[in-house]
Amino acid sequence: MEIHEWMINYTRQTEWIDRRGIFLWIAFYAGGLGGGLYLVSLYFNSLWGMFISWLIIAVIKGAAHLIYLGKPLRFWRIVFRPNSSWLARGIIFVLAFVVFAAVQLALSFWLPGTALEIVFKVLAGMAALAVTVYTGFVLNTVKAVPFWNSTLLPLLFVLCGILGGFGLAVIIGLNGGNVNIAVAEAGSRWLLIINALLIVVYLWTAANRETTGKKSVMEQMRGNLAPVFWVGIVALGIVIPLAIAFSSYFVSEVSSALLVTGVACEVIGGLALRYCVLKAGAYKPLVAIAG
Amino acid sequence: MRWGMAVDLTQCIRCYACVAACRIEHFLPMGMSWPRLVAMETGGDSPTVSTYSVRCNQCQDAPCVEVCPTGATYQREDGIIAIDQDKCVGCRYCIIACPYQNRTFLSKDKNQGFFPGRVETDFEKAGKKLYRHQVGTTEKCNFCAERIDAGLAKGLKPGVDREATPACVNTCPAQALTFGDLDDPDSEVSRLIKEKNGFQLHPEYDTNPSVYFIDGKIGFSETSNIKDDSKRETAPTGAER
Repeated sequence: MEIHEWMINYTRQTEWIDRRGIFLWIAFYAGGLGGGLYLVSLYFNSLWGMFISWLIIAVIKGAAHLIYLGKPLRFWRIVFRPNSSWLARGIIFVLAFVVFAAVQLALSFWLPGTALEIVFKVLAGMAALAVTVYTGFVLNTVKAVPFWNSTLLPLLFVLCGILGGFGLAVIIGLNGGNVNIAVAEAGSRWLLIINALLIVVYLWTAANRETTGKKSVMEQMRGNLAPVFWVGIVALGIVIPLAIAFSSYFVSEVSSALLVTGVACEVIGGLALRYCVLKAGAYKPLVAIAG
Repeated sequence: MRWGMAVDLTQCIRCYACVAACRIEHFLPMGMSWPRLVAMETGGDSPTVSTYSVRCNQCQDAPCVEVCPTGATYQREDGIIAIDQDKCVGCRYCIIACPYQNRTFLSKDKNQGFFPGRVETDFEKAGKKLYRHQVGTTEKCNFCAERIDAGLAKGLKPGVDREATPACVNTCPAQALTFGDLDDPDSEVSRLIKEKNGFQLHPEYDTNPSVYFIDGKIGFSETSNIKDDSKRETAPTGAER
């Protein structure tokens, strides 16, 4: 962009999605997916699920955040302002989850059934929920970007994370983990429907918030982001997994390959959703252009 | 005390002197400008190009301060929003939160030198000693806080005495920039804002910027401004120039 073009049009945010910003997108999604999987795994009491969710948050999310930072060696400073910054709160939630879940995994492995294990399950579960939800608040509190400035965003990210968690739980169940596949499928089915409705409501409210919000929605539906929106979110994220979920409901048994395909589509859909939300965030022009 | 600035767009001759002065004052890398001229095409049948001189608005309710997770961005007692480069982790949340897009992340590609791979100028060498910029952190205009502090220590008055006044204000040949204490109703900047109906950008964000703009016809053709300027007497605007 030429320096002169900057700020006189609707300007898309670039820092959190373009170039190295891709890592932040991965970090945000990994947080939702890992937190969602942990909550689902708690429900099924699946140790494998809990362990994988810990890996997703501690390794993938943690590494992506560190790679994104301009000064990664100062990472420890990021927790200093939890009173006002959602990013500081979020990283505290992540650290709390990594510690609590590690202790819980150790207790579940060596001292299962103890009161201490239950205590740490509760603590890690609360931290996992916080990890899933905080990215929504990080974006939602940015008044400058009307597309993000919605109370629905944290809810959308939580439900999307839990949906991904149910999907991964199905995969874990198929590989011999302690997961009731039928229940996981039912959870996915309901969440797919709720998520689809929530996305529609979110876009509808964003489009009616102000002109910049409408521009962001139009950018997704008809602009450069349209392929990601229609193929990634709508087709892969909603339609195909729903078709597979309903076929398993009405036809009874579907093949494992088809279930895995459905889960892969759900994950791609979740990634596409966050990509579109980040990429379509735009600022108002600095000044009104005289007619 | 609250330092503020008035940008009189009816006086601005779009010469980029403010941009150049800031680059020299702070040894800014080529890929970054703290004040900027934003060009916009006016509407109508015969559109022309007009420009805005913009910089960090030093908001009193600054979203960048609120979101900074490390406390690197903070508000001084005199209202200036400052950045402690040694505390900044480069998360860029402040850039995202600024409704005016007046912050810049100094990445490696923005700091390749004036003649990349060829020669390092004496100016750049001096800058590394006198005003060190840290790649991987966020930067922005600070109203030349170091000049203000040094000037106040000598008993000088920012906005009146050159040595205590921001470089861009000193340099402006058209006297379009006026600096001073917004809390002092008798200061030149306060008087100008009051008399010429100075306004803040995007007041709906409730950020209460300390930079005011004077021009009742924003976006109007530059030609019409030039005509207006020829009729206007250039009055002194407070800062000693």
